[in-house]
Amino acid sequence: MFPDTPYLPAPNSRREFFRDACCGFGGLALASLVHEEQAQAEGRHPLEIQQPHFPPKATSVIFLFMAGGPSHIDTFDPKPLLSKLDGQPRPATFGEAKYQFIPQGARLMGTKRTFKKYGQSGIDVSDLFPHTARCIDDIAVLRSCHGDMVVHSSAQYELFSGRVVPGFPSMGSWTLYGLGSASRSLPAYVVLTDPRGALEAGQPMYAHGFLPAIYQPTMFRPGERPVLNLDLPRQTDAGQRRRTLQLIRDLNTATLDPADVEFQARISAYDLAFRMQTEAPDILDLSHETAETQKLYGIGREPTHDYGRRCLLARKLVENGVRFVCVVSGGGLGNLQWDAHDDIEENHLRKAAETDQPVAALLQDLKSRGLLDTTLVVWGGEFGRSPEAQSGKGRDHHNLGFSMWLAGGGVKGGQVVGATDDIGLRAVERPYHFRDLHTTILHQLGLDQHRLTYPHLGRNERLTFVEGKVIKEVV
Amino acid sequence: MNGFGSRFAAVALVAVASTVLSQTADAEEPAGLQFFREQIQPVLKAQCIRCHAGPADKAKGGLDLETHAALLKGGDSGPAIVPGEPAESLIIQALRHEAGLQMPPKSPKLTDRTIAEFVKWVELEAPLPADSTVGSGLAEGRRHWSFQPIRKPTPPAVAQSEWKRNAVDAFVLAKLAERRWQPAPPATRVELIRRLTFDLIGLPPTPAEVSEFIGDDSPEVYEKLVDRLLASPQYGERWGQHWLDVVRFAETEGYEYDRHIPDAWRFRDYVIQSFNSDQPFDAFATQQIAGDELEPESHEGLTASIFHRLGPVRRNAGNPDIALSRNEVLTERTDIIGTAFLGLTVGCARCHNHKFDPIPQRDYYRLQAYFAATAEHNVVLASANERKVWEARMQETKQEIARLKTIEKTKVGTEKDRLTEQIEALEDQLPPPLATIPATHNDTAQRTAMHVLRRGVWENKGEAVGPRPLSVITADTLAELKSDDPRPRAHLARWLVSPDQPLTARVLVNRLWLHHFGTGLVKTPNDFGIKGDRPSHPELLDWLSASLVENGWRLKPLHRLIILSGTYRQSSRAPQAVEYARSDPENRLLWRFNRRRLSAEEYRDTMLAVSGQLNLKIGGPSVIPPVDPDLVKLLYKPVQWSVTADLREHDRRTVYLIAKRNLRLPFLEILDAPALLTSCARRESSTHAPQALELLNGPTSNHCADAFARRLLAEAGPDNGKMIDLAFRLLVGRAPVESEQRLALEFLGAGPVSEGPVGQDTASGGTAREQRVREFALAMFNLNESLYVP
Repeated sequence: MFPDTPYLPAPNSRREFFRDACCGFGGLALASLVHEEQAQAEGRHPLEIQQPHFPPKATSVIFLFMAGGPSHIDTFDPKPLLSKLDGQPRPATFGEAKYQFIPQGARLMGTKRTFKKYGQSGIDVSDLFPHTARCIDDIAVLRSCHGDMVVHSSAQYELFSGRVVPGFPSMGSWTLYGLGSASRSLPAYVVLTDPRGALEAGQPMYAHGFLPAIYQPTMFRPGERPVLNLDLPRQTDAGQRRRTLQLIRDLNTATLDPADVEFQARISAYDLAFRMQTEAPDILDLSHETAETQKLYGIGREPTHDYGRRCLLARKLVENGVRFVCVVSGGGLGNLQWDAHDDIEENHLRKAAETDQPVAALLQDLKSRGLLDTTLVVWGGEFGRSPEAQSGKGRDHHNLGFSMWLAGGGVKGGQVVGATDDIGLRAVERPYHFRDLHTTILHQLGLDQHRLTYPHLGRNERLTFVEGKVIKEVV
Repeated sequence: MNGFGSRFAAVALVAVASTVLSQTADAEEPAGLQFFREQIQPVLKAQCIRCHAGPADKAKGGLDLETHAALLKGGDSGPAIVPGEPAESLIIQALRHEAGLQMPPKSPKLTDRTIAEFVKWVELEAPLPADSTVGSGLAEGRRHWSFQPIRKPTPPAVAQSEWKRNAVDAFVLAKLAERRWQPAPPATRVELIRRLTFDLIGLPPTPAEVSEFIGDDSPEVYEKLVDRLLASPQYGERWGQHWLDVVRFAETEGYEYDRHIPDAWRFRDYVIQSFNSDQPFDAFATQQIAGDELEPESHEGLTASIFHRLGPVRRNAGNPDIALSRNEVLTERTDIIGTAFLGLTVGCARCHNHKFDPIPQRDYYRLQAYFAATAEHNVVLASANERKVWEARMQETKQEIARLKTIEKTKVGTEKDRLTEQIEALEDQLPPPLATIPATHNDTAQRTAMHVLRRGVWENKGEAVGPRPLSVITADTLAELKSDDPRPRAHLARWLVSPDQPLTARVLVNRLWLHHFGTGLVKTPNDFGIKGDRPSHPELLDWLSASLVENGWRLKPLHRLIILSGTYRQSSRAPQAVEYARSDPENRLLWRFNRRRLSAEEYRDTMLAVSGQLNLKIGGPSVIPPVDPDLVKLLYKPVQWSVTADLREHDRRTVYLIAKRNLRLPFLEILDAPALLTSCARRESSTHAPQALELLNGPTSNHCADAFARRLLAEAGPDNGKMIDLAFRLLVGRAPVESEQRLALEFLGAGPVSEGPVGQDTASGGTAREQRVREFALAMFNLNESLYVP
């Protein structure tokens, strides 16, 4: 289906290049460091580490994006009444809801899943997620999430950028803008897409909007070349390219005015690019991981192999200073996402089997390395699913109340926050909007939603379009 | 207590008033007043003024929050504010929902943070600007500089000098003289021809053009160059792009389907053509806004109306929320008018009165009312026969799709997925749309009834409104246009370009200045409102705006005025740079020229041009160039990226490459080309490592380096010295200096090398020398000087 080692740096020739280049560039790298320090002293480089607004709990975020919208009713939000009302129309007392596909008067559908209480906290988790359930004491389940849109693209924009229209910076870009990069050899905001295809909202969902291009996401791709342009074009070889880089540097410095900070910055950018080429492939190489770790993530067997690899890669990226990693589950046709219109059982059993073990492994692995304290892990989709049935066995999109969860990064785990009504239709207790989630993510990173702004078309734009609340229960 | 409070207030007020009066408008405000303007005034405007404004018999509770005096006087319950005593101020109690008060009514409490700011403000003794009103404040708003009529000032008298060329310089020199500053010396000829050529046509001058310009001793050599470039067909390709950025031109609709708008490229060609023919801007604006109303039979008028089709459009499957979708479309069509023509953020008044500018919410929906009947209208240009053949094929494919869909419904799981894929493949095989103008027209049957929408939500219909221009620049006596006027947008256009409406001309002049100098006279080109930047040279802006209108809104004379000035011709290196930059780091006073990085388009076009590949064909359907297949996979419908078959097309100017919202070319994206979703008035210019990686390893620069190397080898032969000289002249317009020559010679191997393979062939074949020349070519592309215009 896809190569067994999608994120390995490729063949020997490139390794050779990196080694040769390292030796040849020793002096150059040193010189560039001096420049970089100067640049930092002058406060020029836009990606240098920024001081947060207040002491942070977390320094990195991993967003486990369950694209398409996983059902809350079948995962983290048991609704006995819904099962009792199975097959009946929704009682009028619960109010109205707008759906994308199912008509008015559709019948309610109870869950086929069984729930059990887990951990010391005794939180209900369905049998879709037996592995995640074992980490439940580290997890804060938000049962009262809600958003404004019931169609994928707009809901995905809102989940990532706080706006239901495309063109605004995503939370990853804002994070980078606020905190800078802690990695000198890796891109600081990485999206690990699902190799099976794209999502409705497309590239603009992850992108930097009107922020400068430096805050753009780096989309890691499946296959042998995870990072665009990290490897050499085939027309050249390692030794030759090393000389070329030296020529660029020599020619640029031959006529350089020492006071020209803008040109100095460009020279530094080439040095950093060189460092990325030499160091990144080694970091991205999963073969250095023990067999035990690989097994923990379910690497090497189906159906966990792909998502397991990407979760492990997320840990390695965070370990090496990457600020924001998005690991997407779902891509391509709707049923390859969590978008279970036709058959919630078939879809969710399959999607849960692909992701449950890798997700739990990530939490465990981060924890055992002491990284969970500083890494905020967020799990969820752009909405949940309807209490009513669609085409017999499926569920439609549903934005009025659904579940997400947070773990690590200073979040108080082992608790349930908020509640939907008795059929899971609407968030009724302590409802939290996407903007509250954004506020909370920024807060854990030490960033104040009001101070993290960028002027655009006459407005100081921010991630939280309308002011958000910190989810006080979890921080 | 009340009596004490009032006395206190009066004292505080006098103190504030004298502080304000003792300062000029441009000077720093006392911190408390700034706090009021930034934190308190916007909330009062957005939340309170709707009810609490006007005379006591009209305002709710007799409380008028629009003027400072009324605010302190209070309403039926007494003074709203006791300065210094938040706990005793009714306004705080009401915001806190204390003492039986609750404001705003029937809405959630304002956030704790906002309430805390009100408390702080009252603790600061409620400073208020003495001369201001709080509310939508039209009277105050009309005093804002950008709403004042344009007058043509007399250029200030300054000493004659060789440096000073025209009136533009008089304004600039006068400002510099206030600080006893000197402008930078004139730029060199090489710098000038590079600056002008990139600025006006977005391409580098050829070595022959450079030699000719340097060698020409006639006094009008510079003017001749300017006129040649302004007459070049490439001028429209460069300057049209600036306008395309402003109107967020793209050829697809964005969102999940990212549908291709049929033949949207016609709008791009229309813009380029309009710039090349120097169509007066008033006519250009009018055609875009009302071309279909005024010239319904003309292809040009219809093509111009594509303007209203350029915003992102969300299409829906399932239960379509028609009213919501309509609302989204109208929002896009309204907001861009403010941004592109008026330089105002009118979109901010969609949900509430504008927080900073004198734009009441009602005005927003009055502006939107001009578009109440505006609807999509695809005008098919094909002949009857072509249409018949096309329709037959369309029907056939559609029938097959329908058949498969019936089967699909009965299947589940992988079998269903397979059928879905099959159906999608067939949908992609539907015949390409016939030649079309994706225009607009007024569809009276579907006219949207316009209301003020509370909080911008389409269900919350308030007062009904009809089309009317913004109140702040309109006489109070002007009535709304009748809602069923057959040509509402023609009225809007007439107002936008009318001589007593000062914004359109000022905003346009500022855009021109911005692209010539890198920064506008007003630094915020899309915001001329209260929060926008003040002009650095207000008289110059007005002088140029008046000149524009006098010249019949033609842009080329305005370009000439600006670029013939000594200000434009000065060097980007100033001897006193260190000193001047200390107090004017942004060079607002123009004591030197601003060096700038090439735009993504200029850089790609330059690489194609110097490598001899650039295909200068003008106009026509957009080119879809090949990109990394993994990027295409990231499209929801990968088949939309059908690469243009004719390879020569791939080397056309960048303005002719497809502008697809959900797949932007990595090369353009990394060099700060806009996201195509919102208006972009000014490109960012970022420098970072992934950019270096793209330029070193990416396909665009490497493809061009191959060709550049071939050209160098062909034209310079075996002589490395000659080759280096040629490369420098082509790319940076000058011969290499001695140290550059030496470094490059060392790189290429000193002296001529023997032809034939040396050691192993490279992966791409070719000799070792060819490979070195290729790498040399790539290195030349990556020089700082190649990316910057002096």
